[in-house]
Amino acid sequence: MTTENAPVSMYRTTEGMGVWEHKGKVAAVGIGHSPTTRRWDGTAENTMGANSIFALRQAIEDAGVNPADIDGLVLDPVTTTGAHWPEGQDIPMDVVNAYNQTDDPLDGIAKLSAEWILKNMPELTNVKFTMYGMGCMSHAIVVAAQAVGEGRTHTCLVLKSWHNLEGRYNQAGISATDTVPGTFAVSPGRTLWGAPGSYGTALQFAEYCRKYGKSHDMMAPFMANSRRNGLMFPEGYWAQHRPEQLTAEDYVNARWIAKPANLFDNDIPIMVSGAYLFTTAERAKDMKQKPVYILNHASSRGSQRSILPTLDEVEKETAETGRKIYEGAGITPADLSFENMYDGFALFHQFHLEGLRFRGMQNGDALDFYQTDISIEGPNPVLPSGGNIGSGRSRFWMHTDCIQQIQGRAGARAITGVKPEIGVSGGPMPMGGNFTVWSATPD
Amino acid sequence: MVKQGVVPDELTKPHFDAANEGRLEMQNCSACNRLQNPPMPTCSQCKSADNLEWKVMSGKGKIYNYGVVYDCPVRLLQEDQPFNLVVITLDDDPGIQMYSHLPGTPVDDVPVGAAVEVIFEETANGQKVPEWRVVA
Amino acid sequence: MAILISFDIDGTLEVGDPPGVLTMELVRKTQKSGILVGSCSDRPISGQRAIWEKHGIAYDFAVSKHQLPDVKAKFEADVYYHIGDREDLDRQYALAAGFEFFWPDEAVSEPWLNRDADPK
Repeated sequence: MTTENAPVSMYRTTEGMGVWEHKGKVAAVGIGHSPTTRRWDGTAENTMGANSIFALRQAIEDAGVNPADIDGLVLDPVTTTGAHWPEGQDIPMDVVNAYNQTDDPLDGIAKLSAEWILKNMPELTNVKFTMYGMGCMSHAIVVAAQAVGEGRTHTCLVLKSWHNLEGRYNQAGISATDTVPGTFAVSPGRTLWGAPGSYGTALQFAEYCRKYGKSHDMMAPFMANSRRNGLMFPEGYWAQHRPEQLTAEDYVNARWIAKPANLFDNDIPIMVSGAYLFTTAERAKDMKQKPVYILNHASSRGSQRSILPTLDEVEKETAETGRKIYEGAGITPADLSFENMYDGFALFHQFHLEGLRFRGMQNGDALDFYQTDISIEGPNPVLPSGGNIGSGRSRFWMHTDCIQQIQGRAGARAITGVKPEIGVSGGPMPMGGNFTVWSATPD
Repeated sequence: MVKQGVVPDELTKPHFDAANEGRLEMQNCSACNRLQNPPMPTCSQCKSADNLEWKVMSGKGKIYNYGVVYDCPVRLLQEDQPFNLVVITLDDDPGIQMYSHLPGTPVDDVPVGAAVEVIFEETANGQKVPEWRVVA
Repeated sequence: MAILISFDIDGTLEVGDPPGVLTMELVRKTQKSGILVGSCSDRPISGQRAIWEKHGIAYDFAVSKHQLPDVKAKFEADVYYHIGDREDLDRQYALAAGFEFFWPDEAVSEPWLNRDADPK
């Protein structure tokens, strides 16, 4: 079976598309997560592939379906953004051989194919549809939702996995060489000039603070809230390994990475896999878990004019994303119970929030909003999942939380200040990303 | 502060050859009359490769924004941290940005909005790259 | 001679992630011998304090990596040491702050880290 990348036609990228034709007809019915670790320990039992199988099996069991009923699998085959297998380093063949292999010995270790999953999960006897949603779980979710809506698959697993290796993120490979190719030297992002990953976001934040008269310290309540929520996420890294709160003092005293982005504005890379099971709303009616309906998915495909997005470009794009999210779902900002937008760099969460016009806020309002009650107990819950800041880099805590909140399975993290009926999640970046609207009811 | 050496490739050779000769050249689509940076195989507006050319710039710009890098992923630059990392916009077209370490400006003392002029610095393998300094 | 020792945590102390070679018992004895001790880590400051308190060590400071100059300004000593496992973070910050730097496996056999608990 050959697995293709999702075609452009599966994403809803423009305004004026109207209500999503499959609104309320696709539902999330199962969730699974692997344990988290900081890095791979080199063993066959704890590869990223092993984590993937664990998460998928947990989602299947959570949904209460027979694995033979599953006919679809959507995943992101890329399992890192900065922990690449060092060139020339031997691949441990005892680990590779512990599983059924594909042609690529790194499959299941530092990348992941649908073929590898199907070879190593013999219970998935009926998967006929596989597709890649490249980028992160947000991509895979919208592809799976669209695929189920279109009837390409009926009962579909959605998977995102992360590996992490020895060494610091982004410091191997081209960062350690004496020369770089010309195209790399002038490219956006990591370049000849040594920009850390958070640099672009840091600059947008700096411009934001200058424009609206805000300061970095104003982020402290958001950070503390995120970590608090993350510590109530038992599936997450900090809850599992270092259950310590992040105080305002901790945050404002952290060292800079790319000022004004400090250490804690950057999420911690981890190893973890997350999986969901989607099916039709019809099938979901009498399943083990309360179905969470997908009202819409929307995608941002805006790009900057030059090497870094300006604040104007970000604000324009996030506002358009917000409009697309609401248009396709047939709702307004007032209908949102909560939001779980991406926070991989903490300093851009506010752009997502303002683009959503969450609780009526406009550009420049978010940092003031952070000084109010944004807790899960209050009327305006911000990032109840705690996001990546709260639980480590997975890019899917936000989606899991949306499903769990609406199902009433968020445990200690349950939103109590409002009734969690409609939530939105997605990312990663303000420019470019995929977003999903989740609901307790199909309309 | 020495950057990693640059090995020009087909797409960027005109830019780096010009840098070696002390000229700032940016990619332009003559059909759209539109500059673009970074250089691309096609014009990002009309999507055509047929009208791409290289134009000489005035070498004047403004400081648009900046950050200070304290934890750099690039090994060669780590001994120089913290350092300024600035985004310059060209006077020829303020939509076009370039990076700069802004040599000669103290760390975290960057005058946003100030006028800058291009200079050319050697990287580790002798290839020159455009840099910028504040106009006195 | 008044000595101040700053400890990185992860990769340096046994309680770190990854665990380092320096035991908490060693640090406790060092502190009881009259040496000023504390941590300088990427861990949140509140988390650093919790580690010291959990192990019953009367620490003198708990700071972020870039705050060694503040430690030096606050505490008068004849010599300042920082022990850590990272070239780009521990060693660079330590030397910039005027501390002497030691890798953990160097420091573990240094006489100033192996004093008797009761100074004479």
